[in-house]
Amino acid sequence: MTDQEEEALNLIQSHRQGVLQSELWKLLDIDSRKCSRIVKRLIDAGLIERIEFRSDGIKTYLLRAKKRAIDPSVILAGTEILPCIGCDQECTPEECPQLLDWIYQLALEEYQE
Amino acid sequence: MSSAADLLSDPAVNAYIHRLIGDDGIGLIERFPEEGEYSDEELAEKTGVNLNTVRHTLYTLYEKRLAEYRRLKNNETGWLTYLWHLRLDRVTDVIEEDIRDVLEHLDARLSYEERNDFYMCKNCGVIFTFTDAASWNFECPNCDEMLDHFDNELLATALRKRVQKIKESLGSD
Repeated sequence: MTDQEEEALNLIQSHRQGVLQSELWKLLDIDSRKCSRIVKRLIDAGLIERIEFRSDGIKTYLLRAKKRAIDPSVILAGTEILPCIGCDQECTPEECPQLLDWIYQLALEEYQE
Repeated sequence: MSSAADLLSDPAVNAYIHRLIGDDGIGLIERFPEEGEYSDEELAEKTGVNLNTVRHTLYTLYEKRLAEYRRLKNNETGWLTYLWHLRLDRVTDVIEEDIRDVLEHLDARLSYEERNDFYMCKNCGVIFTFTDAASWNFECPNCDEMLDHFDNELLATALRKRVQKIKESLGSD
């Protein structure tokens, strides 16, 4: 995937409701023909879907990511980051005290909700 | 493309990058010029961050595909210069890859919490599985205090929900 395709995909994924193709090329600061080629490649790769859309009577397309970008907050319990991230210690998840602390935070967060 | 400041304002992204590169590395990212590409020495000068820290941070970010370089060769001296720029726009993908890697640890811990009954010493705060507690006749091996049953249901439930949420968002369940 080229950098521009990756940038377009990131942009589409970050808009859960989708992005209009007529807006995408402006956001990417490229011309509409180039944008069409990028969109075609992303569709062909199965990464996005294209839905017909009318904006002010003009036909365009709504582009939506097929797989939504993950919500990074799943690595947090309160303000504590999951200790397994970036951990280089020998791993025994069943007995890891750092992981237990994180699960306590998770339970606390759950209880407070 | 979102700026480094925008990305760092997300608490999870901030915590993730902080785990990778620490306070000094975050200092470099916050002061990294938005446009252009720079050598490590230029970056140290522009940001006021120690040169060794700049290098260490860039290599750490590079390993995670969050920084890239272009290599230039001086034809007269043969010296190589590496010009760096950040690719923090990839951070969500990188976090996702890390989560996929550690998910099996969370699954293993959840299974352990669900499978076992636990006992705890209220003096030492140490938790034992039923098997271990029974082998000590339900007395703490450190202080001889009788062990109490420890209800881990809240912990197991919280972990189960989070593992479920992760699997749903990864599309792997």
